[in-house]
Amino acid sequence: MYPFRTLPENLIAFSQFLRQRYAFRIGPSETHDAARALGIVDVSDERMVRDALRPILSGTAREAAAFDRAFSEFFFAGPPGVPQSNLPRPRAAVDRNADGADKAVQQHVKSGAGDAEPDERHDAAPGPVAPVEVGDASTTAPPLVLRSSYSPFDADASESPELTAVDREWREAARSFVRRLYLGLTRRWRPSARGRRFDLRRTLRASLQTGGEALAPRWRRRPRRTPRVVLLVDGSRSMSDHARAALHLGVAIATATLRVEVFIFSTALRRVTDDVRRAAAGERRRLERLQQAWAGGTTIGACLADFRRRFGDRLIGRDTIVVIASDGLDVGAPDLLREAMHGLSRRSAGILWLNPLLETDGYEPTARGMRAARPFIGTFASVTSPASLARLRVNLKSAI
Amino acid sequence: MIDAETIRQRFRERGFIADAAFATALQIALALEKPLLIEGPAGVGKTESAKVLADVLGTRLIRLQCYEGLDAMAALYEWNYPRQMLHARLSESDGSSVAEREAQIFSEPFLLKRPLLDAITQEQSPVLLVDEVDRADEAFEAFLLEVLAEWQVTIPELGTIRARHKPHVIVTSNRTRELSDALRRRCLFLWLPYPTLGQEIDILHARVPGLSDRLAEQIARFMHVVRGLALHKAPGVAESLDWAMALMNLHRDRLDAEVVEQTLGCILKVHEDAAVLRAHRDAIDPIVGGAPAGSAPGGYALDNDFGAGSVSAKRG
Repeated sequence: MYPFRTLPENLIAFSQFLRQRYAFRIGPSETHDAARALGIVDVSDERMVRDALRPILSGTAREAAAFDRAFSEFFFAGPPGVPQSNLPRPRAAVDRNADGADKAVQQHVKSGAGDAEPDERHDAAPGPVAPVEVGDASTTAPPLVLRSSYSPFDADASESPELTAVDREWREAARSFVRRLYLGLTRRWRPSARGRRFDLRRTLRASLQTGGEALAPRWRRRPRRTPRVVLLVDGSRSMSDHARAALHLGVAIATATLRVEVFIFSTALRRVTDDVRRAAAGERRRLERLQQAWAGGTTIGACLADFRRRFGDRLIGRDTIVVIASDGLDVGAPDLLREAMHGLSRRSAGILWLNPLLETDGYEPTARGMRAARPFIGTFASVTSPASLARLRVNLKSAI
Repeated sequence: MIDAETIRQRFRERGFIADAAFATALQIALALEKPLLIEGPAGVGKTESAKVLADVLGTRLIRLQCYEGLDAMAALYEWNYPRQMLHARLSESDGSSVAEREAQIFSEPFLLKRPLLDAITQEQSPVLLVDEVDRADEAFEAFLLEVLAEWQVTIPELGTIRARHKPHVIVTSNRTRELSDALRRRCLFLWLPYPTLGQEIDILHARVPGLSDRLAEQIARFMHVVRGLALHKAPGVAESLDWAMALMNLHRDRLDAEVVEQTLGCILKVHEDAAVLRAHRDAIDPIVGGAPAGSAPGGYALDNDFGAGSVSAKRG
């Protein structure tokens, strides 16, 4: 049933399985803790082993939710006849006769330290991946099973946009844009050369240099709040050219601040922040597997509601500026859009709607979707060039 | 060492219904001496669990409530400057040397211990609750990591204070912002979901003595359905308990559409949610006893005023 004979080997293989198949972030120290925990609980009780390993090996709600399935998949492999070759082999040549769990794990810790490199983990796709190692064909190892999926859409990559690095002009415009997003001051007082509040502690400390006489007063002030920008790009067919421009804007903003999140939506919502950040770092990236979210009709309201439900708690706060790049041609229900916009505007610092159609002479935002969203939009503009970004003034809720 | 089953039992004695996963996570956290990071929706008992744990272990609960702007000084220690100044003035003429006076001023009586320092200077391992860590900013998180890793604090005037007994740490988060990976890796992670139907009935019985079986089940079923709706603010267990208390105070022993309407403020905290609930009446009506109160024969709601005066009733 288990791939290996001894407990530590199984544990190491399980950790590797979680890392590769489910993109868990497990380092050697977690594996070590897991081994210690198994020394504490009753190993013959399956449920208890699950309950003990879950808190150690998972780190986020997503991982905790995936854990039980992964556990069953690994230790109680599916119906008989399904080969288990998709189990990763531990890279270290682990001594099968190792007498203690700790010893084997320690060994792994040494040899497998490279696995914990952040880059490698970053690359790990969250979905299933093909096994990297195959057992020797000569032994009794079961035949290799390669899992792959075929999607006719994948072949047509011409539709998906390419992200490229931005030039200096854009970077400067973006920096000036981010700098001008003024949200008031934080609640935290920081030491500073000039400030509004007298810092008795630091003044007294400084007075030690002058023989106990406080000659130089020290001050504290409250620094500015750092804004967070959430960019939601409409990737529907009617927007296709403009969406590329909007993503370019996203890349430019990502060069100016780390606090940026980018999403694409049409009939589904997809987070592309990682791609945008990499593009900002100078990499050329083609957005892949976007077909569902790229070049179709738009249900803006449903997508915004989906965004609020999935990411709203974490990303929308009073430091957040929501930027929506869309032409407002919505095929969904206007009520849904109104409701979603209301929710976003209530909790964020302000909504900036970038509508490329504004460039068109005589355009009036009278589309159904646009009419529903209009009351909640703080700033309605169009950004097509660095100059227009630099000129842009964003209305934000009055800072505290 | 305390095992999971004992933890469950002791928690139950104190009115906290814990499932096996929760108890095992606590056991492992205590045994490995690692902080336990608890995440979950609001009102499922994250904070309460730390209080009960302190009670079970018979030790002090030290709570660090995080908020925006919390800094190291407010979490660790501060010198009592006014008292130091006063002491310096008063002892100016008592003939003691400068060195003596300085030693006096920078001594324990002039130190204001904040929660983290307090936690590492206890005679017995306390339970340190770092509540709503997501409300503090990233800078504080980094500082917290350092303390959680080393369990020692350096005060320039006094020297390094090392924990004699490592506190048991519970960190809670409401996920208003993503915590750093570094913090997650230092902690064991527990996702505390809404309770299952059976658990919620148990919780209601444990926390609201005298609640009838039927009402407890109705409340639990109702909450179960309501949490499945797309609400702005889904009610937690805390809301269930509030609601059960309210219904007890109104001397209700069953739910009906009318009393739900009157006491909606106990469970729904956003105005728009009430409309969502009304839109899903078909899911709720079977739980609250079929037909709405208005059409119930005899209008039983009428004689349940109990002198409250504000209870309005409609006769069908």
